[in-house]
Amino acid sequence: MAHPLLAGAPGETHLLLGNEAIVRGAIEAGIQFISCYPGTPSSEVPDTFFRLSPEASYTFEYSVNEKVALEVGGGATLAGALTLVTMKHVGVNVAADPLLTLTYVGSPGGFVLLSADDPGCHSSQNEQDNRIYARIAGMPCLEPSTAQEAKDMTRTALVMSRELGAPVLLRTTTRVNHLRGPVTLDAPTVLPAPVGFQKNPSKFVPIPAFARPMHLRLLETLDKARTLAETSPLNAVSGAGKVGVIASGISRAYLADALLEADLAGAVKVLDLGFSYPLPEKLIASFMDGLTTLLIIEELEPVLETEIRALAQKLGISINIMGKTPGPLPRFGEYDVAMVAGALRTALGLPAPAPLACSCGADPVVTLPNRPPNLCAGCPHRAAYVAVRKIFGDTAVYSSDIGCYTLGILPPLRAADFLLCMGSSVSSGCGVSKASGQTVVGFIGDSTFFHSGITGLVNAVFNRHDILLVILDNRTTAMTGHQPCPSVDKTTLGDNPSIVHIEPVVRGIGITQIRKVNPLNQKATLKAIEELKAMSGVRVLIAEEPCPLFARRAYGMKRTQVAYVAGDCAEAAKDGTCGDCLNTLACPAFYLEDGKMAIDPILCAGCMLCLQVCKNIKARKGDA
Amino acid sequence: MNARMRIFMTGVGGQGTLTATTLLSRAALAAGLDVTSGEIHGMAQRGGVVESTLLIGYKSPKIGHGEADILLGFEPLETLRALPYLKPGGLVLSSTESIAPLSVATGKETAPSVEEIRAKIIARCGSACFLPCRSLGLEAGAMQSGNIALLGALCALNVLPFGRDVVEATIRATMKPKVAEINLKALNLGAACPA
Repeated sequence: MAHPLLAGAPGETHLLLGNEAIVRGAIEAGIQFISCYPGTPSSEVPDTFFRLSPEASYTFEYSVNEKVALEVGGGATLAGALTLVTMKHVGVNVAADPLLTLTYVGSPGGFVLLSADDPGCHSSQNEQDNRIYARIAGMPCLEPSTAQEAKDMTRTALVMSRELGAPVLLRTTTRVNHLRGPVTLDAPTVLPAPVGFQKNPSKFVPIPAFARPMHLRLLETLDKARTLAETSPLNAVSGAGKVGVIASGISRAYLADALLEADLAGAVKVLDLGFSYPLPEKLIASFMDGLTTLLIIEELEPVLETEIRALAQKLGISINIMGKTPGPLPRFGEYDVAMVAGALRTALGLPAPAPLACSCGADPVVTLPNRPPNLCAGCPHRAAYVAVRKIFGDTAVYSSDIGCYTLGILPPLRAADFLLCMGSSVSSGCGVSKASGQTVVGFIGDSTFFHSGITGLVNAVFNRHDILLVILDNRTTAMTGHQPCPSVDKTTLGDNPSIVHIEPVVRGIGITQIRKVNPLNQKATLKAIEELKAMSGVRVLIAEEPCPLFARRAYGMKRTQVAYVAGDCAEAAKDGTCGDCLNTLACPAFYLEDGKMAIDPILCAGCMLCLQVCKNIKARKGDA
Repeated sequence: MNARMRIFMTGVGGQGTLTATTLLSRAALAAGLDVTSGEIHGMAQRGGVVESTLLIGYKSPKIGHGEADILLGFEPLETLRALPYLKPGGLVLSSTESIAPLSVATGKETAPSVEEIRAKIIARCGSACFLPCRSLGLEAGAMQSGNIALLGALCALNVLPFGRDVVEATIRATMKPKVAEINLKALNLGAACPA
């Protein structure tokens, strides 16, 4: 049976994840080309396209990083294909270079960039506001707030981009990507095949002489887009009164619920801004007419607030504008209904609401033991960290990177001392050792190595840096949901027909001090680390072993044995044979039973790392 | 729709918290209700806490402190941790079978006992219903169906704007026959719990 995202008929209503709704919106627009680099909260968009790809007519790829994804997509739109490129917010930083010139060059086939922002840092290293990229790059920006809008605005953004011949930004936030709601489908479009690239150097090659007129053309395009925003149905006025509210993105949902609960619907004038850049100045000017107070509700940076303040100043409109400079709303984190309701009351001159009573009262729920995420039972990263710690202890600076293995930060592994971004384990690790002479061991995953580790490694060789880089090759991109990367031999759709092996890449860079081990073999791993520790310069340890979750799914691998505690831990502690694995491995399968260490046979993944750490642990057959 | 409702769900990665959320959302949609649900992914999946929401008659997918009408906890410690989300007089349904956090399992920290958790919850909510979800799941045929047992108990309390029949139909419509059979059994076992 064909998937409803592909085959669903117009008028049908389905419960869709925000990210699935984006996929359907693209299909309704007639999407022809999708490239991406996965990253929470965007990942279900490309993963859904990938899963559906065998029965769909579009071209899809997981690119090696966001810059490459945007460049590949840029080429596709230049060749006339309707194109969608997806990434998380920090990925746009990686892709910013081609993006800021693609807007000069234009996108004849249509081009939408999905930027999935993460206010609240649910799964990211920062909470940057990518609406600012719409301004710096010069792209119209649409911001959905529900699943239905996620579909509709994706389609609108793609159609508008193709009509304008200019890239459009579809900006979501975690709550929108990961909400589910009813979506009523419209009919898919089938576009004619891409016309192919049409040579026109003055239009497409931004040498300085051509770039200057290109910039003027971009400004004209933005004026056209502003005209569209003035009358777009995505920007809707409702209610009445002397107090106005302008809201964008998910804040619109919080506003709607706050008005509903406070019985204020209709008592204030509301402008829902779904098409938020270029700012529809005439619409906003007429909205402000007759208002005494205007509250602007947008998460993160005061982007609209600043622009609307400037507009009011330009037009000489005297109005009390409130938002986050100075308040009442904050410039960080997520908003919620109560926060928006409080801001509404302030704008209406009502007394601040009593804080919402909750059931816990003053009960110190916060003192409960935490449940932080942890490396899974059987995770080969744990084995690599244990071996490196055994040899380097606290004498090395551990330069980390982005993936499951960042969880190595937690005790007892404590194998992440600093982190900037994808690929920084290599280059920033080099900087630390060069500046201070400290010993640096870097950790990078396979997907991150291809994303932006290779460049740093070339630099390390060229600039004669001193670093031991451990490439944690678990044969998949585990953190974001097991997407393929160039070195994998299996994907969830079958074999990878064109593998790029890591070791020859490392050798090709000119590195000769290389060891390759299975980290679950501790003896060999410890030996390799000792050897590399005795050397200097750029050294690479490739620790290769599949992620056990992925191995079960993609290779059908089953465990053949489980570990159990055979000896008496108390005796072992006395006679010195206790390996202290309870305190050094932090395996989720370990627990204390009446003061004695035990291993949960259901949770044990059969990796047999603990057997190599403690003689009192033995293996027995088990395929549960 | 005038029957507005906020349900906050919490559990531990791998317990099927999100499966239960999606199932209940589909049932609400099948009942013709204006439903929105939300979930937070990412780092939480590696054995951490998984929180999700289901809202009927609202646009926002988020539930703030003191806003939830119902709290569904698939693990007792997490039920207690999520109590601030419940509004005064709200309803709690929780599993009584704990999954110890690693720090507790390895003796580095202590957690309140299930009896203590129960007492704290009962003292702070309008009404509460406790059931051994994992055991009921195992009795139905799969540990993972324990989350559906909790939904069964919720249905039996007649607080949702739709009945157990809608949830049963949704299970049949969205799951493979074998899996559906187990989950229907779990739903019934859970529904027999509230006395």
